[in-house]
Amino acid sequence: MDSTATSLGMTNMGITGIGQISIITHDLPRATAFYRDILGLPLLFTAGNMAFFDCGGVRLMLGPASAPELDHPSSILYFRVPDIQAAHRRLVEMGVKIEAPPRLIAPMKTYDLWMVGFRDSEGNIMQLMSEVPRA
Amino acid sequence: MDTRDGTKLSRIGQIAINAHDVDRATAFYRDVLGLPHLFRAGQLSFFDCGGVRLMLDKPEKPEFDHPSSILYFKVGDIRATHRRLMDAGAKFEDEPHVIAQMPKYDLWMTFFRDSENNLLALMSEVPRSS
Repeated sequence: MDSTATSLGMTNMGITGIGQISIITHDLPRATAFYRDILGLPLLFTAGNMAFFDCGGVRLMLGPASAPELDHPSSILYFRVPDIQAAHRRLVEMGVKIEAPPRLIAPMKTYDLWMVGFRDSEGNIMQLMSEVPRA
Repeated sequence: MDTRDGTKLSRIGQIAINAHDVDRATAFYRDVLGLPHLFRAGQLSFFDCGGVRLMLDKPEKPEFDHPSSILYFKVGDIRATHRRLMDAGAKFEDEPHVIAQMPKYDLWMTFFRDSENNLLALMSEVPRSS
């Protein structure tokens, strides 16, 4: 990595971060309601048959598959939350399908990594994750 | 969710990317994309991309064995990065092109495949000179 790239926070190929992630939807109003009302993410704008959300600076693009090849489930996205037990309770209250109760997935040096899997309205598996400092 | 308590979804911490050959995929994300390799844990290989962790993993179940979501990597100079990735052996689907004209900038994109045949993209917001 050259010094210019390093000072700009880039890799040597010029990549600075993830700007956007596409999530395939089969019912856009249903998916928009889920990401806005249940996950509580800010809806940025809609454009035709697409809806764009912000998640901490990364844009989520919801829309139909533009080719049959792309009509498959999403990658698992791991959303950070401060309190995974409370967030899990909230999802349950809102009727979200949970895969399994929150569990400790890896004890790291200074924290425990907790996760809980759930399904969005389109059947995609997603996860909440939380780094809980070790007492 | 309520934004005043601990249930707020603050940001994306990690993204899972399916790989059928984790060694081959690790080489691609490290040597072609140039992302910092964080660590390896068995069949899991972790990278950093501007604070978001990418986890390369073999699909655990048939249900998970599908291509990745399209991840759009931000770059400053999309033409230069396109050339560098081509030189490094990445397979592109198209040339960098304007995909949307926003009020203050043109949004450029170009699409390519990783070693596992996942579709990925480069994106760049190029300020409009008036």
